[in-house]
Amino acid sequence: MIKLIEKIEGEAKLNFNFKDNKIDFVDIKFMSTRNIENILRGKSPLDALVINPRVCGICGHAHLIATVGALEDCYDDLKISNKAKTIRELTLNFELIQNHFKWFYLTMLPLFGHKQQVLKATYPSQLMAKAIALFGGQYPHTSYAIVGGVVCEITEMDKIKLQHLITETIKFVEDNLVKSENFSVCKNIDNVFKMEGDLPNLLRQIKEEKLLERGKSYDRFIAFGANSYFKKGKSLKTRVSHAISLNYVKESEIPSSFAKNVSYKEKYYEVGPLSRAMINKIPLVIDAHRKYGDSILSRILARVCEISQLLEHSKKLIQALDLSEPSFIEPPVDISQLNASGCSAVEAARGTLIHKVEIENGVIKNYEIITPTQWNLSGGTKDKQGVSQKAMIGLSDIKTAELVFKSFDVCSVCTTH
Amino acid sequence: MKKTRVLWLSAISCNGNTHSFLNYPYLEQFLSDFEFIYHPVLESDYSLEDITACGIACDILLIEGAISSEFQRADVAITQIIESYAQEVKKIVTVGTCATFGGIFGENDNVTGLHFDKEKRTDTFEHYFDKTISISGCPIHPEVLVNTLYAIKKELLISVDKFLRPKEYFAYTVHNGCTRNEYFEYKIDNHKFGTLEGCMFYEHGCQAPYTQGSCNKILWNEVNSKTRAGLPCMGCTEPTFPKQNLFHTKKNMGIPQNLPVGVAKRTYLTLAGITKAFTIERLEKKLFDD
Repeated sequence: MIKLIEKIEGEAKLNFNFKDNKIDFVDIKFMSTRNIENILRGKSPLDALVINPRVCGICGHAHLIATVGALEDCYDDLKISNKAKTIRELTLNFELIQNHFKWFYLTMLPLFGHKQQVLKATYPSQLMAKAIALFGGQYPHTSYAIVGGVVCEITEMDKIKLQHLITETIKFVEDNLVKSENFSVCKNIDNVFKMEGDLPNLLRQIKEEKLLERGKSYDRFIAFGANSYFKKGKSLKTRVSHAISLNYVKESEIPSSFAKNVSYKEKYYEVGPLSRAMINKIPLVIDAHRKYGDSILSRILARVCEISQLLEHSKKLIQALDLSEPSFIEPPVDISQLNASGCSAVEAARGTLIHKVEIENGVIKNYEIITPTQWNLSGGTKDKQGVSQKAMIGLSDIKTAELVFKSFDVCSVCTTH
Repeated sequence: MKKTRVLWLSAISCNGNTHSFLNYPYLEQFLSDFEFIYHPVLESDYSLEDITACGIACDILLIEGAISSEFQRADVAITQIIESYAQEVKKIVTVGTCATFGGIFGENDNVTGLHFDKEKRTDTFEHYFDKTISISGCPIHPEVLVNTLYAIKKELLISVDKFLRPKEYFAYTVHNGCTRNEYFEYKIDNHKFGTLEGCMFYEHGCQAPYTQGSCNKILWNEVNSKTRAGLPCMGCTEPTFPKQNLFHTKKNMGIPQNLPVGVAKRTYLTLAGITKAFTIERLEKKLFDD
């Protein structure tokens, strides 16, 4: 049975095969592509800073940060101030946070039969967009991170405004999402079940509807985008190792779909907030995972948890910003003089995003983008299923399968870049 | 009052306009006056398959994204979906530069805007030209879109330019209201990235003096604009978007190739000559550092 899955920043077609009334195999198909990589070819490398945010309207900022990282990797001796690094990290955090609010209130809650609460999604995500715009001029689609740093200068007054935006967002979380000041330090999932708020209500509903164990996959996690908060590494169940290399990441074509498969050492891995939390060993998520595995509950919890963690971490980053440092340091040679290649990995809202660039005589010869949804939605064969495919196996109804599928926070436009 | 029924139809897009629209500060008011029969993110009474299957009653058709006859939604060609709604609706609004001119995705073969392929008129939907309004921008400014939709609802006369953009928002240049204006007026060409001072027009590709839009009149996210932050205007509301070498000002004999809208080269040179008579210490040094 074929079902068109909508409102995932586009659509995907899922072909469900049933055996003994249980889902036996799901074929995932994306129907279009926008050829961004072709559009980039032959252009000035800096133009990629303008083109690439337009890969995606909800996580375009991650594409900007990945682009600037890949371009800077083409240099051997480029200097970036800590201030610029911190500012980039802050704006990326804000994008992740706005995404998570939208996913929870616009996508997840309606799947559980609740009326979509538009304003609960847009109010906090607008605050985060304002925070990005303070540095980048606007959100979405700024190109403010350039080779050598960031274009903006900020002042103590800007920091005050920024702190207020963060405080207001934290207040929103405590008034709505989880009505407890202890959520960000809570270590036991049982305590969250007893709290009030939209997240605990949803978790209780998952329990009541006996969906606690739904959506389990390989229990294999990976994250490449290290920064002052996220760690790079992989986690097989709870066994974490930090020695991973982009060299083993492989992208391959699938005949039936416009999306490409992504694997690490020939194996499929889950990316996203749950992966990051497993690798970062966030106590609350580890506890939920110990009790319920890599299920929808753990995925939902990890994503919401990340909102609180990143807000707290961002507060610290702002305090530590040294405004006497330069925002921008002129690169030693102009990028139009380069023959080089570079790559970068960042943690976007949905997981690891990889950009690779090859510059020949100062223009882009090749550009390659691997998006988080490609990792999670790799469409494998029956013998070797992708992460989200495996998570849907054994379910008896398509409604639950759609819920499991969307628990990965699927982004169609990214996938069909 | 009856809610105005709106179909938000995505063609070849990044959903950037969808998310920019969600940044509109008074959405509660908007959603009490308008109803989406379909929207890419917000809940709607109809599924995409309902929309493509038959003509659901609708007042305004919004198109986001560039158009190609090969592109399909729910197995129906986008051109066919547009055709089936365009006839019946009161107005069509192209939301964003892709839907208006082709934009970034218009770089692909046979991909254009609804009525324009960059500056050139296309003929596929020519019969709907008079009922279309273009809101260009990559992405659109939420207030510009929302206010235009209200103007349609109120059946106000909307005065438009040759690209069908409401003059009230597109008669201005992006340069109007930029906090770096003085550096432009007195031709002080000392901009460095990462500073509050200087104008990006001379070296860093800023297109604001010849780009139509309200970016510095109605701020983005109510707080800032790209040029105020120090990022050159990329000309994203124009049919020529994206040009090449966006961070670099193209010059002929030291004079920027593209001059402010309506300014002749000779007069610009005369003006530039006169500004050499100024030495404005205030603008030569940091705004407020010691």
